[in-house]
Amino acid sequence: MTVRLYWIQCGGCGGDTWSLFNAETPDVIELLNLLNIELLWHPSISNKSIRAQEQTIEGLLSGEEKLDILCVEGSIIRGPGGTGMYDEAYGAPKKNLVASLAKQARHVLAVGTCASFGGIGADGEIEATGMQFHKWSRGGFLGEDFRSKSGRPVINLPGCPCHCDILAGTLAALVTGQEMELTGHNTPLEWYGMMVHQGCTRNEYHEFRVEEKQFGEKGCMFFHLGCHGPLATGPCNKRLWNRRSSKTRVGVPCFGCTRPDFPQQYSFFETRNIEGIPIELPDGVSRAHYLAYKGMAAAAAPERLKTRKTEI
Amino acid sequence: MSSQRKSIQIYPLNRVEGDLKIRLEIHDGVVTDAWSAGTMYRGFENILKGRGALDGLVITPRICGICSTAHLKAAAKALDMISRVKVPEDAMRIRNATLMVEMLQNDIRQSCLLFMSDFSRVVYQHHSLYAEAIQRYTALTGTVFRQALHWTKKILEIVAILGGQWPHSSFMVPGGVVSLPSSNEIMQCRYLLNSFRTWYETEFLGCSLERWAEIKSLDHLETWLTEKPTHTHKEMGFFIRFAKEARLDEIGRGHGHFLSFGGLDLPADTAVRPLAGGNTLIPAGFMAHGQACAPFSQAEISEDITHAWFNSQPTAHPYEGATHPYATGSESEKYSWAKAPRYAGHPAETGPLAELMIAGNPLFTDLVGPKGPTVFSRQLARLLRPAVLMPALEQWLKEIRPQEKHFFKQYERLETGEGHGLIQAPRGALGHWVKIQDSKIAQYQIITPSTWHASPRDKAGIRGPWEQALIGTAMGHPEDTVKVDHVLRSFDPCLVCTVHTVQL
Repeated sequence: MTVRLYWIQCGGCGGDTWSLFNAETPDVIELLNLLNIELLWHPSISNKSIRAQEQTIEGLLSGEEKLDILCVEGSIIRGPGGTGMYDEAYGAPKKNLVASLAKQARHVLAVGTCASFGGIGADGEIEATGMQFHKWSRGGFLGEDFRSKSGRPVINLPGCPCHCDILAGTLAALVTGQEMELTGHNTPLEWYGMMVHQGCTRNEYHEFRVEEKQFGEKGCMFFHLGCHGPLATGPCNKRLWNRRSSKTRVGVPCFGCTRPDFPQQYSFFETRNIEGIPIELPDGVSRAHYLAYKGMAAAAAPERLKTRKTEI
Repeated sequence: MSSQRKSIQIYPLNRVEGDLKIRLEIHDGVVTDAWSAGTMYRGFENILKGRGALDGLVITPRICGICSTAHLKAAAKALDMISRVKVPEDAMRIRNATLMVEMLQNDIRQSCLLFMSDFSRVVYQHHSLYAEAIQRYTALTGTVFRQALHWTKKILEIVAILGGQWPHSSFMVPGGVVSLPSSNEIMQCRYLLNSFRTWYETEFLGCSLERWAEIKSLDHLETWLTEKPTHTHKEMGFFIRFAKEARLDEIGRGHGHFLSFGGLDLPADTAVRPLAGGNTLIPAGFMAHGQACAPFSQAEISEDITHAWFNSQPTAHPYEGATHPYATGSESEKYSWAKAPRYAGHPAETGPLAELMIAGNPLFTDLVGPKGPTVFSRQLARLLRPAVLMPALEQWLKEIRPQEKHFFKQYERLETGEGHGLIQAPRGALGHWVKIQDSKIAQYQIITPSTWHASPRDKAGIRGPWEQALIGTAMGHPEDTVKVDHVLRSFDPCLVCTVHTVQL
């Protein structure tokens, strides 16, 4: 049986789509074929006439045509003043169309941080929000109690953009009926059950607290340059990007783009700290113990790290 | 015979980045007037206000998922200017190389996935190349669609090696780039480029870059087309033959004004020669229809909001502009979320064709001629731009000296000041205008290439480039919008950029 998938873009940049195009083994074409997914509509790929596209929507909304998976990319724009007219479709706010499609769908995926939590614009005049979360709070656009026809809440796949392997893996799990445990933010545990920091090639510098104070050094960026690697979940350093690298490996701090508060209200590229110790410590860490541990670790740092001889 | 007047609306136009709505006035099957409207507003510039001085490096790439490296570069250049730091030459090479890779990716995807896909529409069933077009360009199954998907993905690995990931990295900072690529990593980039070039020459162009460079006129192009089977049958030849029969050289003329901000800064010590003088590979300039190219001055840029849903001063330079969204619906003269950018008071088109015209490329100078650009010349320029970029890209990768590790220079000051980063992005002229005060962003104004193209009318009633280019387009059947789609797509529309960023 074909699995019918509809992709709608709202307040977004299209980056999650282009990220999906990075996928390999299977690439996006093989993925759709292997999972027997019929793409009813994707704004960057489909070649349907306007009339045919309207008929697709009519069929889905009336329930005559089944909708297995709804992928939402981009935030739900509610401004100005709750009208949603900063983002219109067919002369009406696009958010109305999203809500109607979500009611018909067996599974709803929020692809990327904007669709998951509001993302860019969640604090702005466009009154953006996520499908079922507004930043850290449950609720968002559809409300805490929303369940798709499968009985699940909206499955959040945050990341700016969402890593192609996460979307590909989630689609495979849904189509083949695999178990998929979700975290408290309704993200699949398999990919969001680890910190971005895990697998970073600068980890030894982190371990012994050999710090990068200006750009372009070998060192850990957590203590001065605002790296969120130990503070954000995601497989960036396990799955890598474009099969090659990651931001933290090349020296770009992690900005915590999978977090519900991305983009954070404080400045990027600097670590908020009290007397040199970051205000925000890795998830679940005891502050006093961490202080002692990092002091000892710095004292134990080998010469090769202190002189930045170790490659990253 | 009584004449027939009709007004139609086109929404949604698929396979463009973002939402675009076009209203057309049609008289006896010919477009007599057009209104272009962005239908979404994301308010990026207001989001940036009050944030840390460096935050544009993280926020602005998120404007656009297909040209995030371009936004990063414009943002970094504005901060270079404010901090008055001199960027090391190898950092310039890495910035250029990554942006050029993004351009290669864009040109191939726009051509094979978005533009030529229209050749497979049933409206072309009587075209002699229709069956072949279906086999090549059908979404997801076409042979060329698959090849383009593969090779654009591979070439983007260069951006990941040098900058961590694509899309949406922030590896360019004032003073250079943060990465420290090793010799082996630079070699990996060169191998990737080499594979891409081989594919482009054998499967796309059907000849070597050197052979193509000999084409200096329309006559040369005709000769080339039938010279060898690969010239006739690979992508370039197929496009030319299909376009000729579909008469794409007769539609989409527009105003014929070309604009380039200049792109890809030349390091002092490089073997790469600029296409036409100056200190950038792609020259800067403005060419009014039928006139010689005039030197570019950013002071000549303004934006007009007479017909856009904003209510600040009607016309302003980006350093002074404000963005106050003001949704009046369809009740007033306002009809779009895109402002109307003007250069010395003129609307302008930008992108590969504008770059090649301003560079004085003989083939395109001949093609455009006194009649002005068309869908054919605009799209041909995009198919061809990789051939222009690749030799310089190869050279720059070769020139990087990883062992010297000179990719970043610490900047001294970024507390207060104003600066702009003006570049040539994949789709053309992109500008970021930034004011920093007390280490915070006080003002951020962005004009993207698609803002130039999607422009609504200005206070003098002059149409934007798309609106003008649509005039005179013959529609077969009112529901057959393929010609209109060709005209719009020949500009490579990116509405996520346009409507997402309108001024604050």
